[in-house]
Amino acid sequence: MTINEDYLLRVEGITKKYGVNTVLDDVSFDIGKGEVVGLLGDNGAGKSTLVKIMSGVVAATAGDFSWDGTKHPHVNRALTESLGIETIFQDSALVPQMSISRNIFMGREITNRLGLMKIKEMDAITSEILDSVVTIEGIKSSKQLVSSLSGGQAQAVAIARAVHFKRSLLILDEPTSALAVRATEALLDYLRALKADGISSVLVTHNLHHAFEVCDRHIVMNHGRKILDVRREDTSVEELTAAVVEGELGIRRYRENATAA
Amino acid sequence: MSPQDTGTDQHVLTAPLETGAITKVRRLADNQPVTTAEKFKDYIRYTRGRGALEIGAILAVVIIGFVIASIASPAFPFLSANNLSGVISQSIPVLAILAIGVGILMIAGEFDLSLGASIGFSSITFIHVSNSFGWGWGVLAAIAAATGIALINGLIVVITGIPSFIATLGMAFFWTGASIFINGTAPALLRKGKDEALVTLFAGDFGFFRSQLVWMIVVGVVAWFFLHRHKLGNHIFAVGGNASAARAISINPLKVKLLSYALFGAMVGLASILISVRTSSMQPGSTEDYTLMAIAAAVVGGTSLLGGRGTIIGMIVGAALIRIIENGLILGKAPGFYIQLFVGLIIVVAAIFNKLMEGKAS
Repeated sequence: MTINEDYLLRVEGITKKYGVNTVLDDVSFDIGKGEVVGLLGDNGAGKSTLVKIMSGVVAATAGDFSWDGTKHPHVNRALTESLGIETIFQDSALVPQMSISRNIFMGREITNRLGLMKIKEMDAITSEILDSVVTIEGIKSSKQLVSSLSGGQAQAVAIARAVHFKRSLLILDEPTSALAVRATEALLDYLRALKADGISSVLVTHNLHHAFEVCDRHIVMNHGRKILDVRREDTSVEELTAAVVEGELGIRRYRENATAA
Repeated sequence: MSPQDTGTDQHVLTAPLETGAITKVRRLADNQPVTTAEKFKDYIRYTRGRGALEIGAILAVVIIGFVIASIASPAFPFLSANNLSGVISQSIPVLAILAIGVGILMIAGEFDLSLGASIGFSSITFIHVSNSFGWGWGVLAAIAAATGIALINGLIVVITGIPSFIATLGMAFFWTGASIFINGTAPALLRKGKDEALVTLFAGDFGFFRSQLVWMIVVGVVAWFFLHRHKLGNHIFAVGGNASAARAISINPLKVKLLSYALFGAMVGLASILISVRTSSMQPGSTEDYTLMAIAAAVVGGTSLLGGRGTIIGMIVGAALIRIIENGLILGKAPGFYIQLFVGLIIVVAAIFNKLMEGKAS
């Protein structure tokens, strides 16, 4: 386990059982401030359950959850919301029939005392937000419907929203799987840029090349256990591939081959 | 505003935070519409996908056609005071108020097929309470009854998670039965509770228009501010459009759906008062047609059958279009079944049109 005293989120001994089925087995790791962490693993490795536990949607059977030095015994969505954890799921972050501006302020509308929205102010702030996100190109107006955006643009809008509302940890679930090559590059650029603002992100993905490009650290899951937790400079795409595909055996074989060569 | 006229616009150089490359970026914040013409252009461009504009144009064409026909031929008295006040100004508002209730519920992603039965029940409540305690209590009781019915339907749908189609279809039979249980099958008559103030308020005749039209305008304006300008209206769109996205940012879809059911119920209550005061009577089981007519009006007005899309103006225009064409068929002495043919056809055409619009928007 990487020792990092300046951590933002620390999970220790996270275990999740559904009946007799152990989905997560004693998983521990830190996420540092401003760190981009790749959470990798094959289907069924336990990634999505781990994401749900981190975002407070599902409770762990056992394990500790600490945030910025404070232990929280009861983790639910209200807590993670107040801590500033935002999970961006691939297809369900935005409402397609609503404008960009209304999506950005959904549930956090700027209103007067009667609860009536200040549309002009929301539109103006939305334009500023979209301008500050350099990777969102080709958007003509904050009033444009989200359904008229490309997958990459919509994803960037969802992330821009999280950034605007000062979220401190973004968990991105398979963010690049639906994106075109250029949109993917733009998104990865944007994630790198977020680091400068001290925002941490967890990138949950199948795509090792994307993860390797942008993440500072990689955590590989296999059958509910963490089998690798390694900084980018200490690993390679080949090692990560071996870990994801073949598990611990793959790591061992890769390292033996590397030493032999 | 289009990419072609960038030549005259200001360009700002913005460096991406870390990549170091310099790109030309058009700043949206500097391109907000300023003049009325620009704002109108913006409005047309970004609301066109929401359907109200096209249906408004169709209504205008139909009205112009009827006006010309009426001027040309005395046999088609569309413009007569009797027709405008006696028919149109009474039939459009009731359907429009119901369409607003149905429309808000549809935007939230739900239906209520017990609408007609609920009108029957709350009308009978209104008549009996007015006759016994005065119409002030009758009005309160009618709105409370319809809102209560809608909330019960809403709770069944929200708690059990069964589709609102089947839940409210069952409840439609239940509330018709309940009306007969309370009232018997003979019509309930509004006698003692009826006085001049009540008639002026809910069915007053002011020459070319009636009180109902004022109710429609008041309800329309309040509903517009609520749905399109209030944060709760925004939540209704969010829940109907993508409930999981709404939940992810801590909007509770169940609460929002119940709120929509309650508003729908209040609209049904008001409509039943308007109907009962005008006709002075109500027979249980005679109001079933309103259910599909109200859904038709909402759909014709561009409300999506899948939730998340619709406008108050569209709902009113949809109701007006159905009632005016119906009126034209009657004035043109078309046989009664033409109206059924027409309403059936218009629902299907409007639903197909909505689907095409949704496809276009994405």
